[in-house]
Amino acid sequence: MGRQRRHPGGLGRRRRLAGWVYATPTAAFVLLFFVVPLLLVTQMSVSDWGLFNGDQGLNAPHNFTAAVDQDLFWPAVRFTVEYTVVTTAILVGCALGLAMLVQESTRWTGFLRTAVLVPSALGLASASLLFYALYSPGSGPFGQIMQHLGISSGPVEFLGTPGHALWSTVALIVWRYAGFYMLLLLVALQGIPAEVYEAAEVDGAGRWQRFVHITVPLIRPSLALCTILCVTGSLLAFDQFYILTKGGPDNSTLTIVQLIYNAAFAGRDDLGLAAALSIIVLAALLVLNIGQFRWLRGKEN
Amino acid sequence: MPKLALRTPYYVLTGGLAVIFLFPLFWAGLRSVSPQAGTAQVHGWGLGNYQTLAHYQSGIWQYVLNSCIVSGLTVVFTLAVSLLGGYAFARFAFPGKNLLFMLTLAILMVPYATLLIPLYVLLDRLGLQNSLVGLSLVLTMFQLPFATFMMRISFEAVPRELEEAALVDGCGTLRALLLVLVRAVQPGLVTVGLFAFLAAWNDFITPLVLISDSSKLPLPVAIANLRAQVMGVIDYGATEAGVVVLALPCIVLFILLQRQYVRGFMSGALKG
Amino acid sequence: MIGIRPTRRHRRRPLTVLAAVVALTAAACSSGGGKSNQSVAQGGINGLDDGTTLTLWTRAPLELQANLLVKAYNASHKNQVKLTIVPNDDYVTKVGAAAGSGGLPDLFASDVVYAANWSKAGLWQDITGQISKLPYAASIDKGPIEAGTYNGKEYVLPFVMDLSVMMWNKTLYKEAGLDPNQGPTTLADFVTQAKAIAALHKPGVYGTYFGGNCGGCAVFTWFPMIWASGQNVLNADGTKSLLDSGTAKQVYAAWRDLWTSGAVDPASKDETGATWVGPFQQGDIGVMPYPASLLPTVEKTVDAGVAPIPGVTGGESTFMGGDGIGVSKDSKHEAEAWNFLAWLLSSDAQVNVLAANQSIVSRSDLADNKYAAADPRVVTINKVAASPDSKTPIAVDFQQAFNAAGSPWVTLFRDQVFNGGANLEQDNSAVNSVLSQ
Repeated sequence: MGRQRRHPGGLGRRRRLAGWVYATPTAAFVLLFFVVPLLLVTQMSVSDWGLFNGDQGLNAPHNFTAAVDQDLFWPAVRFTVEYTVVTTAILVGCALGLAMLVQESTRWTGFLRTAVLVPSALGLASASLLFYALYSPGSGPFGQIMQHLGISSGPVEFLGTPGHALWSTVALIVWRYAGFYMLLLLVALQGIPAEVYEAAEVDGAGRWQRFVHITVPLIRPSLALCTILCVTGSLLAFDQFYILTKGGPDNSTLTIVQLIYNAAFAGRDDLGLAAALSIIVLAALLVLNIGQFRWLRGKEN
Repeated sequence: MPKLALRTPYYVLTGGLAVIFLFPLFWAGLRSVSPQAGTAQVHGWGLGNYQTLAHYQSGIWQYVLNSCIVSGLTVVFTLAVSLLGGYAFARFAFPGKNLLFMLTLAILMVPYATLLIPLYVLLDRLGLQNSLVGLSLVLTMFQLPFATFMMRISFEAVPRELEEAALVDGCGTLRALLLVLVRAVQPGLVTVGLFAFLAAWNDFITPLVLISDSSKLPLPVAIANLRAQVMGVIDYGATEAGVVVLALPCIVLFILLQRQYVRGFMSGALKG
Repeated sequence: MIGIRPTRRHRRRPLTVLAAVVALTAAACSSGGGKSNQSVAQGGINGLDDGTTLTLWTRAPLELQANLLVKAYNASHKNQVKLTIVPNDDYVTKVGAAAGSGGLPDLFASDVVYAANWSKAGLWQDITGQISKLPYAASIDKGPIEAGTYNGKEYVLPFVMDLSVMMWNKTLYKEAGLDPNQGPTTLADFVTQAKAIAALHKPGVYGTYFGGNCGGCAVFTWFPMIWASGQNVLNADGTKSLLDSGTAKQVYAAWRDLWTSGAVDPASKDETGATWVGPFQQGDIGVMPYPASLLPTVEKTVDAGVAPIPGVTGGESTFMGGDGIGVSKDSKHEAEAWNFLAWLLSSDAQVNVLAANQSIVSRSDLADNKYAAADPRVVTINKVAASPDSKTPIAVDFQQAFNAAGSPWVTLFRDQVFNGGANLEQDNSAVNSVLSQ
């Protein structure tokens, strides 16, 4: 990230121009398909803008106050944050554990890496549908297995209570993403020179001490990258909940992006409100990510 | 070292993990051909669910073809844009560089659903609404944060001397890029390309909104259509068969390219 | 009143960001103004059949019937209809995106629960005059037409209907010593019969089932119980909920009784609607209110009886669900689109396409057709639609108040059934606050 060195020799202007030329396609894409739509979203957020009847003129800051005043706004914020913390902790933890398990290069670890990585070839929507079927009391295998084993007498409610629904969703996300994060961390682990460990072993450091004092600090940038990606992804969680729980039971798993979707398309038909919520989310994420970057940079120096 | 004794719990543990990760995929495959009430395969084992899929509307091959076109175009656009962009960000200093890079990364931070309505209006103005090219352009945009980041670190990991040698030989920067550097960042390109393919192949909501012509829809939308029946009821047989059909090409491609895909990450400056 | 339409397309490619934004905004702001309905009537009562290609959107659950209808139309007309199927959950998203930029197809269908909202938003063209000229106008099912009426103007006709009926498993009824040819005729009958099935204590078999976390399912199956008792669920203009009435309380009490006595499959509690018809098809449920359109599917696995949904002390009713269809505001082939609609309601389409394929007809004068005669259950289904107590509830914010995941109605009936009947006043006022927006 942002590693910059000054180019030797002062080709100066031509070099700058060349840089711009190479960056032009990126700039064009970002401007046309991201910045322009984003400006329109901003305009929507300060306008009375219905899904079917379009722009009815400015009404700022009505959409923002209406967004925050919704009964479900704060519960959704709370749940989204809770989900993000749980998912990030478990996912990054699992990924690190897996990365350490498959560190050596053998045939067996090669197979293991593939096994863990294969789910990441599925789309999140496909994966969610697959787990929806897995969790279904009628169609899924777990209920029967657990009844056979005598663990449970009735059908298992994977999505029936707020707690179950949260953990069932986290399980899906870990299944789908563990491989990707494992790979990021594996690369970092393999970048640690063996001599460092050997030296520590000579000094009498135990396994745990080596992990805490050598491994973690040395892979910190990758851990931080995983955390940033995972936090951002989880705060914007939508597909998994849209398919698995639809925000239920009793609105207990409603995320902020579902709130946006509902505002725009499921009943309220209010693009202005949805846009205002999006702007709030974007602002929160920008602040959070800039904070994370700063923190990362600060520690590096 | 008492290797085997120490190793047995390891194998049990890791073997168990492999089973956990592979089980859902095998289960879906199995379930898609097993008998189930409320599906196309009510009695006995068979391919009833796949037959429904195969004969859906214009026939499954039309949807596969559309998906291939969209995924192919998205991969090409993503590779082209991120190759040049990554080169620019890694090797050149130009005004607005950091701002542009941050803007590119900010694409990750905007809720997907919100951008779709403005994008619909925009593509309509450009005459690209209801076109596979327009759809690919939008999907490419969503790929740019990862792709640009990945290509930037790939270029940064290439020894500067390699490029300078080419420049001294009288190549312009473009020729240096095409003749020398492309080879050096190839693993990164594979990673980016595979990522773009998987995302474009699986994406559902973008084509749903941006494409109105049945015969131009990609596979995931067709499969979503088969899933839902009257009154919100879900056909699990069609769902499972759909997951298999969507996942199979991805898994095959993934396993074929896995080595290079992993190397793409390795070659980057991600190392701790 | 009517949405956004880009007036000057492709005039100039926006060169700068600013120009692009201005262009976008202009596109979004220039609203189209109401269209006169003259062109719909241009071809007279039958519209025009001049070889135009028409586009039609519908949601995925109606795919079967929509395909049959389009095929039959295309085979007998010069006009050709191109059908686009949209996934059920995403239909509103799709229509919303298109409506905002003038991209709606010539014809599009809508779940009746959206019809009021979309008529108000001006997504369809006024076809009041054309409907009134149809010779069989009086016998068309009123539910969808009324749902799609705004300010006295009619915008939609029935496309494909779905009704709720009481269905029971005759095999289980025989085992429990009940009369397999006589379903429940009162709410109390329903409770008694469901409990009798549960008393068989067969593993996996329960008396009844319902979508305990599915607002749409409960609307579809419980409202008729209230209507059949002569009570309404909403006031006339759909702004106030009457779901705290004495009759409604009796219906909740019946379900609560079934739930606490263990006659309801426990999976009901979390049923989001995805599998709510499954257990009955598997032969595991004794009796439940069920979609009539699924009779052909049910028949493959279960010997089922069919009756109208009864009220507290008798009566009969059904929820007139399914989809209505209208000519979109963006259509430039209104007279040709009307040609399709006029044909859709003709006996040719109703009997030879819909009834011939075991679908429900939308004209009461065709209820007793040659195909229905073969199966008295189909006649029962077709006839219940004409009952005065059969309705389509109409409210602009119906979707948000009732069908949406986590709607106040879901909270209301969950409190009533699983929570011992608490909070009725409070929950009902939450429904009201959405309806009266």
